[in-house]
This record gives sequence, C-alpha cells and structure tokens, in this order.
Amino acid sequence: MVRKFLRKWWRLLLAVALLASAIQFFVRPPEVAPGRIVGEIGTSLFRPFYAGVDFLRRSVSSVWTGYFALVAVSRENADLRKEVAALREQLKESRDAVLENRRLEELLRFSKNLEKRTVGARVVGHDVSPWFQGIFIDGGTEAGVEPGMAVLTPAGAVGRIHRTFSGLSEVILLTDSRFAADVIVERTRVRAIAEGMGGNLCRLKYVSPTQDVVPGDRIVFSGFDGSMPKGILLGTVVSVDAPPEGLFMKIRVVSAVNVLSVEEVLVVLSRPMIPFRRGTP
Amino acid sequence: MRPLLVVLGLSFAGTAANVWLLSAHLPWFLLPDFSFLAIVYAGLFLPGPLGFLAVLPPALFREVTITGPPGTFFLASVAVYFTASEIGRRIFLRAEIFLFLIVAGLLAAESASVLLLLIMTGGNPFSLLRGAEEVVRIAWTSLLAVFLFLDLSGRWQRIQE
Repeated sequence: MVRKFLRKWWRLLLAVALLASAIQFFVRPPEVAPGRIVGEIGTSLFRPFYAGVDFLRRSVSSVWTGYFALVAVSRENADLRKEVAALREQLKESRDAVLENRRLEELLRFSKNLEKRTVGARVVGHDVSPWFQGIFIDGGTEAGVEPGMAVLTPAGAVGRIHRTFSGLSEVILLTDSRFAADVIVERTRVRAIAEGMGGNLCRLKYVSPTQDVVPGDRIVFSGFDGSMPKGILLGTVVSVDAPPEGLFMKIRVVSAVNVLSVEEVLVVLSRPMIPFRRGTP
Repeated sequence: MRPLLVVLGLSFAGTAANVWLLSAHLPWFLLPDFSFLAIVYAGLFLPGPLGFLAVLPPALFREVTITGPPGTFFLASVAVYFTASEIGRRIFLRAEIFLFLIVAGLLAAESASVLLLLIMTGGNPFSLLRGAEEVVRIAWTSLLAVFLFLDLSGRWQRIQE
C-alpha cells in the first residue's frame, strides 16, 4: 500500500521535501552552505558573458565613433554634415569619458578621506527577481571582498556584500527589505533602525513621536551595530507621520544614492566589528 | 540531446541577457524569468532523466543571479521541476489556456512563498504598486511561455517524426 503510494506520488513528495529544505535554508542559512559550491560553478559559467558585456558596453561606442572618424579622414569627398555628426559623436564620447573620470576621481578622493582600506569595483549586473534588490560587482574574493562589508559611493551608502565568489560579489542594496542598520538623525542625533522598503526608500523604525525629526533631515549611519561605517550618509527624510495611536512615528527616507543606477562603488575592506554570520544579509 | 541544448541555451542566454544587459534599461517586471520557463518546460515536456539533467543548469543560473539566501533558489527550482513534471503526468492538457494557467500558477505560488518567508523573517516587502507590477510580470512571463512552449514542442515533435 505504502509502496504503491510512494511509486505514484514520489515526484510530489520529492518536491515537498526540496521546498522544505529551501525554506530551511531561507530562514536559517547553514554555516557551510552547499550553495557556495553551486554558486562558484555558476559564476564561473557566467563570468565570460558578463565580462564580455561589460567590455562591449565600454568599447562599442568608442570603436563606432573611431570608425566614422576614420572613414571621414580617408574619404576626401565626405560631406561636412557627416563630419559634424562624427565630431558630435566624438564629443559625446569624450563627455562620457570625462564624466567617468570625474566619478572615478571622486571615488579615489573619497577613498583617501575615508581612512579605511577600500577597493573600487564596477557594477556589472542587477538582480532582476521581484523579491530582492541587489547588484553584482566585479570585485570578489581575490580582491579581499567578504560578506558583510559595506559598499559606498562618495554620495552615500549603497548596501552590503551578501555573497562573494572569485571575480564577482553580490550586494544587498539598502532599499532591500532584508537590509537593516543602526542610524542617527544628523541634526538632532535621534537614533533609529533603518530598514529597506523597495524603490528608492527606507523606513525608520522605533522613533517616538516625542523625538524631533522633520522632512529634510539627513540620516547617517551610527556605526554602533558595526555593520556600516559611522557618518556615511543614508539619505534624507521625505515624510514623517505621527499616528494618533501607536508608539512610533512612520518615517520614510529617500536614499542619497540612486542605488539602481550606480555604476562604480567602493567596498570597505574591513570586517564588521560585530560577528557577522556567513551567508546572512 | 537537442532539447537539452535548447533548454540550456534558452536559460543561459535569457538569464544572462536579463541580468547583465537589459536590467539597466527595462523595468524588472518586463524581464521574463527564462530559467524558470526552461525548468517548467523540462518538467512538462521532457520525460525521465533527460528532463532532470536539463533542469540542473537553469536551477544553477537562478541560484547565481537571484540574491536570495545561499542554496534556496537551486532547491526551489528543482522542486518546481518535480511539481511541473507531476502536473504534466496527471492533469496537463495541451491547450494554450492550460499552459498559461500552469506557468502563472507556478510563478504565483513561488512569488507568494518568497513574500511569505520574507514577511516571516521580519521584512516588509509588500506594497500595492509592487503587487501590481508582480501581476504584470506573471502575466507577461506566462504569455511568453505559451508561445515558447508551443513552438519548442512543435519543433521537437517534427524532428521526432
């Protein structure tokens, strides 16, 4: 009877067992995750593709412009309009390069001021799942990147390293619902817990209605929980709602950095002071 | 061997293009989960060990490209394969509407499970706008699945004949 039942429904039973394991991994990630080996294989399969795409992104437009310029030089009868168009393209390309240089210079200056060892990385991809907000950067274990490290730009915080592989790391953005950190209001030094809420927003938790927080206040990381460096900007308060009943205010903060359009980031290469379990955000 | 390569190619190229090429230009809810589609296709149309083999790479790609807890999406993807396989054996009818409903049902079940787990672990990911976007994603992916599955199974049948 049991054998017949098992023979008939083994697929469904296996699916249930796998789902139960997946839920267990979700709620309580194991110390030694089999997902790491799986992830290593996966990233090594994907690395040529994302490296290729990144290379193409940066070089295709300049090659294209150069090609037009060459054609314009070699053909003496090329008309003025084409030449102007090619020059405009070149100018646009130069502007892009200048802007990129500016961003990188700013990162370098910020990195020197930060007084912490950092490593620069380029954003090579985005998590497209509907549940999580994350990005992939091209710095991995070989650059000393480890889970839990803070990811920043000169304009403010971006998120935290989640998983690392060789040549690639996953970053949980500060707007992801799994992100939480201790913060303070810069003006009044009121403490709170910031939590991601999707889009470009975070919420501040556990702020009493008697505390002084108004729209426009800047929110910075306190550094007390050891997860993010002290003084780094999280964002600006956009709305404060004090409900007539309830212990705490509803405060929304828009992140200082547009986390979904950031291109270059800095990873702070110092581990959080509070033990950070591998594989947990 | 050919269906195996098709599933592998579809999941690799689709997922990689989404994550590393299109994600900065298109909103997330217009990017169909190609690896998920490959897994459901294998469950419904590829019988036996061939189907299971075909599912491992897409499950791996989902594990790598979704920033969830380690191991979770690999196991969940294999579970989706076995569920799709069971549906294929028991109640699968080869009409467009059934294909649409199966894919939409599996996508909705996965989405609801992850949201529930996120809420249970202390997150608060739900908003009305995000819910509406998710409905668009599920509908769009399921619609694409109908065309893709019918085309692939038709081609595969012609080759067999």
